[in-house]
Amino acid sequence: SVTEIRSGFTAIKANIQARDPIRTLSILSYPHSLHRVKSSDRCCITHHLFNFYVDKVFKHCKTEDSYVNRKISSIANSFLSVKRKLGQCHEQNKCMCGQESAKKFKQILVNYEGLNVTSAAIKSLGELDILLDWMEKSR
Amino acid sequence: SGELYCSLPNPRNVHFESINMKNVLHWSAPEGIGDGVLYKVKYSVYGVGKWIRKPECRNINSTWCDLSNETSDYEEQYYASVKAFLNGMCSNWTETTRFNPLTDTKIDPPMVSVSSTEKSISIILTAPEKWKRSPEGESVSLLQVYPGLQYNVSVLNKKTKKRWFFSVSNNTLVVPWLEPGTAYCVSAQIYVTTPLLHSGFSKEYCIATLKDKMA
Amino acid sequence: EDALLPAPQNISILSTNMKHFLTWSPVIVQGETVRYSVEFQGEYEREYANESWIPICECSLITATVCNITDDISATVAYNLRVRADVGVGRSEWGTLEGFFNRITTSLTPPLMKVIADGYHLLVELEDMGPAFQFCVLYWKKGQESRMQRKVVKEVSSVVHLDAMEAGPDYCVKAQTYVEAINRSSSFSQTQCVRAQGGRSVWL
Repeated sequence: SVTEIRSGFTAIKANIQARDPIRTLSILSYPHSLHRVKSSDRCCITHHLFNFYVDKVFKHCKTEDSYVNRKISSIANSFLSVKRKLGQCHEQNKCMCGQESAKKFKQILVNYEGLNVTSAAIKSLGELDILLDWMEKSR
Repeated sequence: SGELYCSLPNPRNVHFESINMKNVLHWSAPEGIGDGVLYKVKYSVYGVGKWIRKPECRNINSTWCDLSNETSDYEEQYYASVKAFLNGMCSNWTETTRFNPLTDTKIDPPMVSVSSTEKSISIILTAPEKWKRSPEGESVSLLQVYPGLQYNVSVLNKKTKKRWFFSVSNNTLVVPWLEPGTAYCVSAQIYVTTPLLHSGFSKEYCIATLKDKMA
Repeated sequence: EDALLPAPQNISILSTNMKHFLTWSPVIVQGETVRYSVEFQGEYEREYANESWIPICECSLITATVCNITDDISATVAYNLRVRADVGVGRSEWGTLEGFFNRITTSLTPPLMKVIADGYHLLVELEDMGPAFQFCVLYWKKGQESRMQRKVVKEVSSVVHLDAMEAGPDYCVKAQTYVEAINRSSSFSQTQCVRAQGGRSVWL
């Protein structure tokens, strides 16, 4: 559940964000914050972002710290179970993708590909609270 | 800028202390350095390319700087940094961890007002307001910031010493069928489930139910 | 390193109220202390991370034949678990749990509950079962089961107020737990009834 993702992330937030020295770039918030996404596009952006994290991010976040790795596994598996539910919405056409969400998600991928894969993955993981804050606020 | 040689030890423990989103940067003086140290402060919005100096916190000797104004958008996250100066020498910039006002602030307990009749007490709860620039500024209740905000209310019967708990989503609670002429003490706590935030319990507000007219 | 040592057998899970324990039979080696290590693999690791396994350090080279895996089984997906034995330089093959474990299968027991009548007030005391648990409390006037009232208790703090009672009739209460993460509830507890009598609580 999202609550469990939040508590898993809180446990490693300081550790993960400390591994990201780049203050001047954000994967999720550049150039515009997620909070600017139209409500009609929220489901689709969330669906894409969960796929993004599962497909691209978590696998490149292995650390030397076994506690951190276990928390990342916990978050990744929770993402998988939420992603499945979002997939059902998408299949039932309840999760329409508008032009804005396509553009926003494309920008996120551009931001991600602008860094080397490990830095991009760790930065994305460190920005999970940006995603969670936005999801919970728009719930 | 007159910074000759940065060999001064760094300021220590640079961090935000935030209550109801009043976000104040705090730090400790560099190790082993006596009086006379001055500081300057800068901050940045995470993901945006530039550091911004805080003019009011330039060449100050205190070890705090109020950045509430600069960090009031709680949809953003921030870094702040401090540099020390003494006798023409300087330290390196020392940064905070990433600060997220929404999850990293502490919440004050709610305000509690209590009234009573012969057999009941009525409790009105008010969530604290988010920090605002000036008294005339627009008031934003933390209820608007955290839509899932709820209250835990404790009611203590001073005679029987028994304490009851109520979980309340709206801001009023009436406890009926109480004993006339009895003192009850009420305190309340705020809790938010996502993100997980708890205030402490407020102080106790005591009130007595009116005496039974028939007795 | 040849595997002289047999792999641990009878690997199974005991899971009650979202607390999950992996157990196995001891590997017997005369005059030697056998130590065990446990690893887990979630669905994510199987499908997206090259079927990697993650060690549980609290259960690394332990002598006990049980491991608390609760903190690592933290998503509602299918998990694989395995155990191996070590004696000196000897090391067994992995013994793997037969089939997967998904926490959705945990057994949920009704909550311990104590109903209290304090004057005209109906209260309930519930056991704290951890942050994953909420409680659904049903209460009604005896004989008026059709007008049952329902209260969801998310945060357990000692004595929870349910309602005010009229003097005279009996009031009955029962409760069940609810776990949002797996969207399941326990069966109801035993019903308990009390009656209010002007300031003195009376058990029935």
